[in-house]
Amino acid sequence: MGDQVDSMTQQIEEFVPSEYSAGFVTDIESESLPPGLSEETVRQISAIKGEPEFLLEWRLKAYRHWLTLETPEWAHVDCPEIDYQEISYYSAPKQKTDGPKSLDEVDPELLRTYEKLGVPLDERARLAGVAVDAVFDSVSVANTFQDTLAERGIIFMPFSKAVHAHPELIKQYLGSVVSYRDNFYAALNSAVFSDGSFVYIPKGVRCPMELSTYFRINASNTGQFERTLIIADDDSYVSYLEGCTAPMRDENQLHAAVVELVAHDRAQIKYSTVQNWYPGDENGVGGIFNFVTKRAMCKGESSKVSWTQVETGSAITWKYPSVVLQGDNSIGEFYSVAVTNNRQQADTGTKMIHLGKNTSSTIISKGISAGRSQNAYRGLVKIGPKAENARNYSECDSLLMGDRCAAHTFPYIEVKNPTAQVEHEASTSKISEDQLFYCRQRGLDVEDAVSMIVNGFCKQVMRELPMEFAVEAQNLLGLSLEGSVG
Amino acid sequence: MSRMMEFATPFSTLSTSLGQDVGWLTSLRKEASTYFKQHGLPAKKEEDWKYTSLQRLGQVVWEHTSKDSTILAADVEAVKQLDDAYHLVFIDGVYSDVYSEVASLPAGVIALPLSESLDRVEVSTHFGQQAIIDSPGLTALNIMLVSEGAVIILDDNVAIDKPIELVFINTGNTSDLATHLHNVVVLGEGSAVDIVETHIGLTDAAYFANQITEVVLAADSYLKHYVVQQASKAAFHITHLSGKQAKNSIWQTHSVALGGKLARQDLHTQLLGEAAHCVMDGLYLPRGEQHIDNHTRVDHAVPNTTSEELYKGVLDEKGRAVFNGKVVVHQDAQKTDAKQQNANLLLSRRCEIDTKPQMEIYADDVKCAHGSTVGQLDEAQLFFLRARGLTELEARNLLTYAFVSEVIDQVTIPELRQSLTTLVEKSMPAVAATT
Repeated sequence: MGDQVDSMTQQIEEFVPSEYSAGFVTDIESESLPPGLSEETVRQISAIKGEPEFLLEWRLKAYRHWLTLETPEWAHVDCPEIDYQEISYYSAPKQKTDGPKSLDEVDPELLRTYEKLGVPLDERARLAGVAVDAVFDSVSVANTFQDTLAERGIIFMPFSKAVHAHPELIKQYLGSVVSYRDNFYAALNSAVFSDGSFVYIPKGVRCPMELSTYFRINASNTGQFERTLIIADDDSYVSYLEGCTAPMRDENQLHAAVVELVAHDRAQIKYSTVQNWYPGDENGVGGIFNFVTKRAMCKGESSKVSWTQVETGSAITWKYPSVVLQGDNSIGEFYSVAVTNNRQQADTGTKMIHLGKNTSSTIISKGISAGRSQNAYRGLVKIGPKAENARNYSECDSLLMGDRCAAHTFPYIEVKNPTAQVEHEASTSKISEDQLFYCRQRGLDVEDAVSMIVNGFCKQVMRELPMEFAVEAQNLLGLSLEGSVG
Repeated sequence: MSRMMEFATPFSTLSTSLGQDVGWLTSLRKEASTYFKQHGLPAKKEEDWKYTSLQRLGQVVWEHTSKDSTILAADVEAVKQLDDAYHLVFIDGVYSDVYSEVASLPAGVIALPLSESLDRVEVSTHFGQQAIIDSPGLTALNIMLVSEGAVIILDDNVAIDKPIELVFINTGNTSDLATHLHNVVVLGEGSAVDIVETHIGLTDAAYFANQITEVVLAADSYLKHYVVQQASKAAFHITHLSGKQAKNSIWQTHSVALGGKLARQDLHTQLLGEAAHCVMDGLYLPRGEQHIDNHTRVDHAVPNTTSEELYKGVLDEKGRAVFNGKVVVHQDAQKTDAKQQNANLLLSRRCEIDTKPQMEIYADDVKCAHGSTVGQLDEAQLFFLRARGLTELEARNLLTYAFVSEVIDQVTIPELRQSLTTLVEKSMPAVAATT
């Protein structure tokens, strides 16, 4: 009898969904602005960072424009009203010196946090060949591999530093892809952005390693407003990784980032994201609101931008990494896996705007919904009147797990040129009983079988990820869906 | 939601003489009128009207009574798609006793103008009950100003020997004429009928047709429903077809849109009983400055229902088309099988297509797929035909026809299939020699 109870308890424990494994709060003193948003807040942020005049002006323009905007409501998500006056717009970890010059100088508390998250910051970083510009809350605290990059003339530094080191580049490119007038969240970000990464790859340079940044939301009630700007000059190549985790807490946290990519003639940018922010508990309490504007400009001829994303976290995701195909023969790609479980809501997809001749784009989107979640693909393929011989292929597949979740597809196709070829396909289904039976019959338990089938479903996207990311992402998929079938 | 309020004003003072003493209709009208005064016509800001603007429609002061509906008997004969059928004919929105032929209808079938069937329980039960859901402004306007319509009622287990053709003619005698017709089709259990709707403008006159057809299919009933739209090239032609389907019922719709300056059709079915099935086929051929918009929506509300949809478009000159197909699988509607396909052929430099196939799915054990394509004629196929002696134009027309024939082949009434083939061929650029 006792044995039976024990084995039952064990079984139950196995089926209890795993806790969010990255949920912990690092206890470091933060230097924060009081909650609230006004012109004064914008001026303060700019002053703290000692920004040049042009940037403050730009922030203020964005803020004034933001005041005229309304929260967008078209996405298929149910979002509680956000009080923008209750958010603190700046928070920086206190530092002993003005800036750490090596790893030894970095707050050990921070290093432990990264360790728990599995950031390959020190020895592991070198082995993995990753240069990390780690953003802890709002201020960058560690840069590695600067020397290797500097040799090739590659600029990879925190945004706040780049403002001083390369103001001419910032002035030229900031807001050139995502204007502060673009949308509500982009305007907000432009006004109050704290920090982010800046990358410039000079002409003809192939970046020798994957550049990577880990963002992390920490101090309570702090919205994060990163700003990433990547410029690839003629004939250059860069692969950039972005990965995210956030500690567990109950208040909803807002995250409104802006990412701008510019690819000049024959340049290539590969941007990969693994997003694993706190999704809220199984009743939908807590979790991050992730409202991101990501856009790439294929400015030069034969340039190429590829977005790959694995989205498993956040309570609400609102994100459409897009490519404007301006240069002739340019290529845009979007590979996405979005997983929602419990009460998560995701409205994500892409926009491919074809303007140049012989431009082509590929969209592969895989949505997996489980529990009581909502998962929507929303995409736009637009062929302008001058985009001769444009080509698009889109595939959007949804996998449903459980009879209370939902999957939606909203593809918009607008064609103004008769030489265009556009194809869109979408399908929705659940994991087939036959597949499950086959796996189980070969000795796999349900969870492993589901994880295997799901990974097979996502393979087209996963193989686009850089190696070390792919492993992490596969584990993440299994983890996110634990307990949703059984 | 902000709508263009000013559109409402020219309409809101109007009224109609139909059924002023019929209680259910007057109260429905009051409701519609209140709604319309508040909301007006849908504005472009609304998602369902993103690509189609009614601004120009709202700028015209429409005439609501036909001044002169004289028409030659030969003209009526010429526009009918079918000879061997029962006919209900409406001229400039007015029912024509003279040209309609319904006397010999078999027992158990009723085909009457709305004005003569307001006392029927089927009409009072079903009129205005479904159409509220979509394009609410236009629906409200229709109910507010409805003057006539066709009513078709089939008793249980009645199958009819010949199709019923509804002919809606605009003579062009009254300029800027607006008509608001409202049809009700009720099929009893196990009944079956073919209905052909013919909409035609005899001249190039501008007019505004705002028509609603509500269809109710009882268990095991079968309706094949054809809509042939040849409105004038200056007309605003707006139709709304809405159906409710009980278990095992089948509703097949085949819509061919050729006319209209601005043509919009909203087609909506609710599959409310198990094993209900619907087919939505459509063809749209905008050219010149035409704008043709097709919106479809299928609601799978219960388990084990199926739907199939195929819409094809050929766009030429400055033609513009919009396709929006929505499939909604409701919670617990397990084992739903929904297929949807939209294909577009672009023949000119100046045409534009905006297509949006949509799925909203709230059940997991389902099979849903949609696809959408935009492309042009295959150069290799053109070369093959040219090598065999066809002229460029002949080759293009042949391939274009091959593209649309997939839809036309679904038409099971031979006479109608023939007439549609001719219509489609006529819409293509003329070839000097015979093809």
